[in-house]
Amino acid sequence: MAAKFLASSSSTLRKTLTEKLNAKYHFLRCLSSSSSAAAAAELYPATDTYEDTNGITMKGVRISGRPLYLDMQATSPVDPRVLDAMLPFYLSRYGNPHSRTHLYGWESENAVETARSQVAALIGASPKEIVFTSGATESNNISVKGVLHFYKDKKRHVITTQTEHKCVLDSCRHLQQEGFDVTYLPVGTDGIIDLEMLRSAIRPDTGLVSVMAVNNEIGVIQPLEEIGKICKEFNVPFHTDAAQALGKIPVDVDKWNVSLMSLSGHKIYGPKGVGALYMRRRPRIRVEPQMNGGGQERGIRSGTVPTPLVVGMGAACELAMKEMEYDDKRISALQERLLNGMKERLDGVVVNGSVERRYAGNLNLSFAYVEGESLLMGLKEVAVSSGSACTSASLEPSYVLRALGVDEDMAHTSIRFGIGRFSTEAEIDRAVQLTVEQVEKLREMSPLYEMVKEGINIKDIQWAQH
Amino acid sequence: MAAAAAAAARGVPTRSEVLSLFRSLLRTARQFSDYNIREYTKRRTIDGFRLNRTLSDPDSITSAFSDGKAQLEVAKRQSIIYSLYAPKVKSIMDLKS
Repeated sequence: MAAKFLASSSSTLRKTLTEKLNAKYHFLRCLSSSSSAAAAAELYPATDTYEDTNGITMKGVRISGRPLYLDMQATSPVDPRVLDAMLPFYLSRYGNPHSRTHLYGWESENAVETARSQVAALIGASPKEIVFTSGATESNNISVKGVLHFYKDKKRHVITTQTEHKCVLDSCRHLQQEGFDVTYLPVGTDGIIDLEMLRSAIRPDTGLVSVMAVNNEIGVIQPLEEIGKICKEFNVPFHTDAAQALGKIPVDVDKWNVSLMSLSGHKIYGPKGVGALYMRRRPRIRVEPQMNGGGQERGIRSGTVPTPLVVGMGAACELAMKEMEYDDKRISALQERLLNGMKERLDGVVVNGSVERRYAGNLNLSFAYVEGESLLMGLKEVAVSSGSACTSASLEPSYVLRALGVDEDMAHTSIRFGIGRFSTEAEIDRAVQLTVEQVEKLREMSPLYEMVKEGINIKDIQWAQH
Repeated sequence: MAAAAAAAARGVPTRSEVLSLFRSLLRTARQFSDYNIREYTKRRTIDGFRLNRTLSDPDSITSAFSDGKAQLEVAKRQSIIYSLYAPKVKSIMDLKS
């Protein structure tokens, strides 16, 4: 008994000692790092990340805790139920789904086919119409370039919109270089295309109309059913990028009359690196494959199908189907809370894009008389972005907001709040509080805001040219 | 097989079995190291049971109960995995402001 007591007390003593030593070491480290931080950051840019229980230092910013996440359009966290479905296929069930000669292959193949049905069920399609890809970017590339390349003898024209995702626009640019014609439809100030303009843009040699379902930057929902009807009338294949729509708004390939549809896994609480392409079978749409090889996925996308990722995407789709109503109710309430919170305490808050025709989880706001980058810099405890992740590296205002006709100064101050399944009321309240504080702070030192308060219209000012 | 037959003979889960499942789910939810997952699991459990409170058809009660049990198993496994890879730094929502 006594010996036991001694042993345990000595272990506590040791523990205290080590802790003290650690603390001392930490103290020393803090001292040395503060004096030479700048030099070290310059020499070894990758080593400036430092994390302990007191906080995290990265890119010269010190934060006491992990920021609250409101950037669901960039990517969403993996749902634990999705991960639970995936893990077995990272452990013992590692077979290649295309192996036909043993159990490992068979069980993987079954899992892939189950996932295919789960994806198909969510969009009202047949499992035979689903092709797994690496993501929505690949699906968009196959759709836009693949269709036009396949029908290139008769079809030389593509119609798309100015607010499409970069990968659709870039694929169109690529086609233009090959000699195809592309019409980029403008959008109204609400971000929605004019159906009459679409109708008049269709030519006899139009091979594809590509309009995204939910915009990634402003969350606006396009009138897909009407677009589908026009495409059916002229017998033109219709492609839609539904990466931001899947699992969030009801998606039905027959109601929308789409021939092709791009889907993504990581926007619906699934894994990154997997997506799907819906390809209509009746009437059949054909594409030229981008990747050649083993002929997997009916030759449209060769390469071994990544079983764990595909299983994850299937599980995410099944969950989305079950949870859509519940999630939507919550996300709408949270969006309202966020918007009301901002508008109650700040003036000059503008919602970018249509207020009625939008997905509730995406709230793109502009704060007048505040510079967006400064605002984002001050909001280090809130993970939000100024637009899409793809373009956030540049300081240019978003091309989507420019297409909407948003003034340059307002386009520069936009912030996209992305609310998701795991967002809480407390997070929204904290985000409102931090944003309001930051905006007020920036406006306090803004001469523009002072002038506006004095009743001067900024647009009337004649700025001196230098 | 024997368990399934026994369950069929017993029929619908009793009130105390349902309450015990509810409490187990909430207990497991609290064990998630991740702020968002913890809050979601709690909220979803409470809302799910509230939604199914009015179920009267024995078949739907049994299927809701077995669904809940499956969810409990998932939550138990995942709370362990989350704890294994928990970041050193907590969410700012878990820090007292």
